[in-house]
Amino acid sequence: MFDRLYAGESVIRKVRSGTAEFGSDILLAPSEFDSSAIVAKTQLLLMDRVAQMGVVAAYRALSGANLLVDDRGPASAGIYMGCGLGGSSSIQDAYRLYFQRQTRKVKPSAVPLIMANAPASHISMRYGVLGPSFTYSIACSSSAVAIGEAFHAIRDGYLDCAIAGGAESMVNDGTIAAWEALTVLAKEHPDGPAASSRPFAKDRSGFVLGEGSAVLVLEAADVARARGAQPIAEVVGFGAASDGHNLTQPAVGGQVRAMRAALADAGLAPEAIGYVNAHATATPAGDKIEIDALKEAFGAHARRLAVSGTKSMHGHLVGAAGALEFAITLMALKKQRIPPTANLTMLDPECDLDCVPCKGREASDLEYAVSNSFAFGGSNAVLIARRG
Amino acid sequence: MSSYDYIKELLIEKHDVSPDVIKPEAKLTDLGLDSLSIAELMFDVADKYGIDIPDERANFTTLGEGAALVDELIQAKGA
Repeated sequence: MFDRLYAGESVIRKVRSGTAEFGSDILLAPSEFDSSAIVAKTQLLLMDRVAQMGVVAAYRALSGANLLVDDRGPASAGIYMGCGLGGSSSIQDAYRLYFQRQTRKVKPSAVPLIMANAPASHISMRYGVLGPSFTYSIACSSSAVAIGEAFHAIRDGYLDCAIAGGAESMVNDGTIAAWEALTVLAKEHPDGPAASSRPFAKDRSGFVLGEGSAVLVLEAADVARARGAQPIAEVVGFGAASDGHNLTQPAVGGQVRAMRAALADAGLAPEAIGYVNAHATATPAGDKIEIDALKEAFGAHARRLAVSGTKSMHGHLVGAAGALEFAITLMALKKQRIPPTANLTMLDPECDLDCVPCKGREASDLEYAVSNSFAFGGSNAVLIARRG
Repeated sequence: MSSYDYIKELLIEKHDVSPDVIKPEAKLTDLGLDSLSIAELMFDVADKYGIDIPDERANFTTLGEGAALVDELIQAKGA
């Protein structure tokens, strides 16, 4: 996946949401997802698509970390998952039955399908992970916070290991209509659907919803070393702060405070950072505010940062966005390559930092990188990682 | 398709029950279904035939009894 991002590939396309008679053509970053190799048929009864995605991502993380033995994961690990809406498609199914059929007899499994902690619970059940389980619902920064909290729990000595990430699957008709009504979704660009998510561009028009799950295994450094694990990179800082401003409009102040909190948590000066994976949803207002916040938080060093908006390629995964984008940041550190902001053919003069337009870049001296997640409601979360 | 055959199909397709253990005398609990799965099964059957299975009648034991109950409710609805 990282190689495709580095090459500037966008998976955004136009799909029909709803029916031919009642629905909408929307831009989407859909997930080609098949859970059948991992999830047994009987379990599907009790798993919304979001939980299936979480389990598959957890499987990949655990097996990639060589922590699966006879299909069981580390029993004492904690689980920290971000999820914005929970079993969104199951909510829609239940209400549709209730209102269309005027029946109070909805699916008995509706509640466990819908509850937002289902992805974390299914990971726990499936892989025998029995430590504490937390689910964070903080809109676009849910999974950044989940990872940050897991990092702190390990650093503070509460856990040796945590499965941390996010899952979101809300691409059902009713939910999409709600997002459309907010007028934050991108319009199709003349160059086509894949070109429509345009962070930092003069002609940006909003974001494209995605769906999916990204999960990491975090482990205390000494424990990882002792068992000969090969980490991708190291988490070194997490900071969070609130705007206290507006439900949908971001504010510079809260973003600055979150970035400063992350740097302080990592014990780093701003000058240490080489790359920022920006939140950059490509809304006209949001991108400019983030650039202003970067300038304020990083001072003169902001001009030396590489800042890319990878939502240009993978869309906005909301509850899973923080985890996906942090994973991309870790891979950038590991591979010493910075993914581009795709579709940045015409930079907005007000976003006048180095936004890595269109082409990825080698970065052989990249040591520290930042990942920003700035949620609706002004809940900001920032993670910092170091090359491993 | 008779209601027994539909229940059998649901058990095989959705609940991963092996066809050779499905008999009229089989008990749902012996087929590996927990209470939530049984409730799901009943929901699917009621949904398919447009019937309502009252809670006080839903305590049948064997598949055969369950299918008979469903048939009775289908008849009552049609009447």
